[in-house]
Amino acid sequence: MVYGKEKMKIKLTWKIWLLIIAVALSLLSIFGMPPIFLQKGVLITSVDSNSTIFEEGLRQGQIIMEIDGVKINNVEDFSKIMQEKFPSEENVKTIITTKDSEYILFSKSPPEITVSDIPKSYLKTGLDLSGGSRALVQAKDKKLTSKELNDLIEITSNRFNEFGLTDVKVLPVSDLAGNHYMSIEIAGATPKDLEKLISEQGKFEAKIGNETVFVGGEKDITSVARSGQDAGIYSCNKIQQGYVCNFRFGIYLSEEAAKRHAKITEELEVNSTSQGNYLSKTLDLYLDDKLVDSLQISEGLKGRVTTQVQITGSGIGPTKNDAIENAEDEMKQLQTVLITGSLPFKLEIVKLDTISPTWGKDFSKTILFAAIAAIFAVFLIILIRFRKLKSSIAIFMTSISEIIIILGIASLIRWDLDLPSIAGILAAIGTGVDDQIVILDESKRNTSLSIKQRMKRAFAIILGAYFTTLASLIPLYWAVAGLFKGFAITTIIGITTGVLITRPAFSDVIKKIEG
Amino acid sequence: MKENIKKRLSNFHNKYYKLLLLIPLLILLFSFIYMGVFYSKNKDFIHKDISLTGGTSITLDKKLDTEELKKALSDKLEDINTRKIYDLVTREQTATIIETRSGPDRAKEVLEEYLGEELNEENSSIEFTGSALSESFYRQLLIAILFALAFMAIVVFIIFKTFVPSIAVIISAFADILMTLVLVNILGMEISSAGIIAFLMIIGYSVDTDVLLTNRILKGENSSLNERIFNAFKTGITMTLTSLIAIVFALIIVKSFSTVLSQIFTILSIGLFFDILNTWITNVSILKWYMEKKK
Repeated sequence: MVYGKEKMKIKLTWKIWLLIIAVALSLLSIFGMPPIFLQKGVLITSVDSNSTIFEEGLRQGQIIMEIDGVKINNVEDFSKIMQEKFPSEENVKTIITTKDSEYILFSKSPPEITVSDIPKSYLKTGLDLSGGSRALVQAKDKKLTSKELNDLIEITSNRFNEFGLTDVKVLPVSDLAGNHYMSIEIAGATPKDLEKLISEQGKFEAKIGNETVFVGGEKDITSVARSGQDAGIYSCNKIQQGYVCNFRFGIYLSEEAAKRHAKITEELEVNSTSQGNYLSKTLDLYLDDKLVDSLQISEGLKGRVTTQVQITGSGIGPTKNDAIENAEDEMKQLQTVLITGSLPFKLEIVKLDTISPTWGKDFSKTILFAAIAAIFAVFLIILIRFRKLKSSIAIFMTSISEIIIILGIASLIRWDLDLPSIAGILAAIGTGVDDQIVILDESKRNTSLSIKQRMKRAFAIILGAYFTTLASLIPLYWAVAGLFKGFAITTIIGITTGVLITRPAFSDVIKKIEG
Repeated sequence: MKENIKKRLSNFHNKYYKLLLLIPLLILLFSFIYMGVFYSKNKDFIHKDISLTGGTSITLDKKLDTEELKKALSDKLEDINTRKIYDLVTREQTATIIETRSGPDRAKEVLEEYLGEELNEENSSIEFTGSALSESFYRQLLIAILFALAFMAIVVFIIFKTFVPSIAVIISAFADILMTLVLVNILGMEISSAGIIAFLMIIGYSVDTDVLLTNRILKGENSSLNERIFNAFKTGITMTLTSLIAIVFALIIVKSFSTVLSQIFTILSIGLFFDILNTWITNVSILKWYMEKKK
């Protein structure tokens, strides 16, 4: 606004223009065009990949504007309509209108999607503010090379994908001590799944006697049935402490594994039992060296090159539903390791943080409040010290524009703003105000120097301070497995834009005001 | 009148500036002795919290009597510590933090038993750091600070190119950190990994005013030395006070809410306070001595 006023009186210099453009671009990067906070509707956060609606083309990230012609403004509207319609006795028609197309669905149950309110901006917050789980993982008793780490990350990512967890970030990190870690971040909190998928190596072996027939992974297993007739729970029985439910699913072996199977079974004898004729040894399934199940091999398979094999297993629980759920989990996990193969190392979780999503909301508000209070305090002090309203407003506006530019760049590089990043922004704004005071003070001094020369002197001080701060931040970028990278990044963005964009503009503004 | 005060101040400073240097020197001496004793007693430079020693921190979204909780669980969990979190406006307790050196599974189990309900992602946050890892983090953070000091020193030498003024800046920055460290230890604060970052921030803030001072004195125009010092002081003290007040404001707001941020802000305010001393006594006196000698 200050700049607006200036415009009426004097021509804006290119430095001030640069600042205005930078702020405008940053706002564009934070809110988009048209601004996202004006957008009505709900955002689809996930779509079950086995659902009809997925086949029709509805995807995560799309925005639902209307359902059955009724405008949807938020999640409440959405759940209200869904509750009114479902569950229903017979198939009902649902028309889902997104921004660019329309999907029609006939079903008894609601579409298999989850939605959330549209975020107010494109800024992304880190786990410590938005909730979720983060694990730092290391190989047990082994120092990983960076190649081994990359292999591990590939397999792990694959595992999460196959398991059906989306929105997972698996990244290599290393630190000053030369340790390599795998960092896993899951938005929303699902620490159980996370632990399950990495605490076990997932080494799957199918053995007859001491001989391995096939192992998990694409070398021996060409495909795994995930749903439909070939995979599912086929029986549940009551046992002493609850229920046990059995699952089975089909897999296809590679030619090579099938031949191995033929060779081993060739040498087995046939035993006759009341239930039929079976081979003398069972096919034993091991997961991480623990026996999961033993399968009888029917006589007909002796010496046959068969590529189709049934895998079975079971889950237990205090109630039938629990047992079914447990069996489904077990099945999903087994399918996952059969597809992806085992992890090359035993892993160890060295750091595991699970932050409740309810927590972060209040947090962001408090931080915003704190930042506004701090900037306002600065404004008052400057006003009291220099007794110049225009200059004080200029400092205030410069600080605000610095925050906007830092956030704009953070949004542009898709940086997740976590607590260290926010501390970094505060640090940058603090040094920013310091520099502006230097500029303001230099401009006021009664010397024989011209205002241009005085500004030059001010910048000698500012650049000196800039390079020393920059130098002191560099080690942090690598230390502590990157947990404080955010602090280094936002501070560096902040002080750099300060030196290159906002402070030169501020000095021009001051030149106009004071000059 | 104003001129008179200025003159008397100037005379006073001319006479006593070397003596003034004794104040920071004595504090520094005390700091070294204190840290020596502290280190031999604790085998470390700070009291570390569980983010640096390893352990589990659980935040429960509910009101609990922390004293009672601590008493009830102290024989089941190692080194247990409890804290309350308050709402900013209503001052009502909104959450409870339990810290222990025990592992996350054990801590969760014991708490669930005590509370009689399951802990899940909706009602709690759990943070766990393994002890070997936190040990390594701690070492790295110390190395990061040493490197930061070293890089800062190199840059300062490149900027000023003269030995005494450069070393004066470096001494002030070092003294800021050391004195802050001592006060933090005297206050018995348990430092988290974020707290160590605050020490790093002190370097940045501290050097700002020192660079300003040295610049004005070395590259000053025709005014007298005292005039230059006084002008630098006017600017510099505004800078530091502004930062200090802004940080104290922010601290009051986040105090009851975030232990991480409030620790950063507390350490920063202590650091800025000592920076006033070290810039305007330590650094000024050394520089003045140097300039007088050069004449």
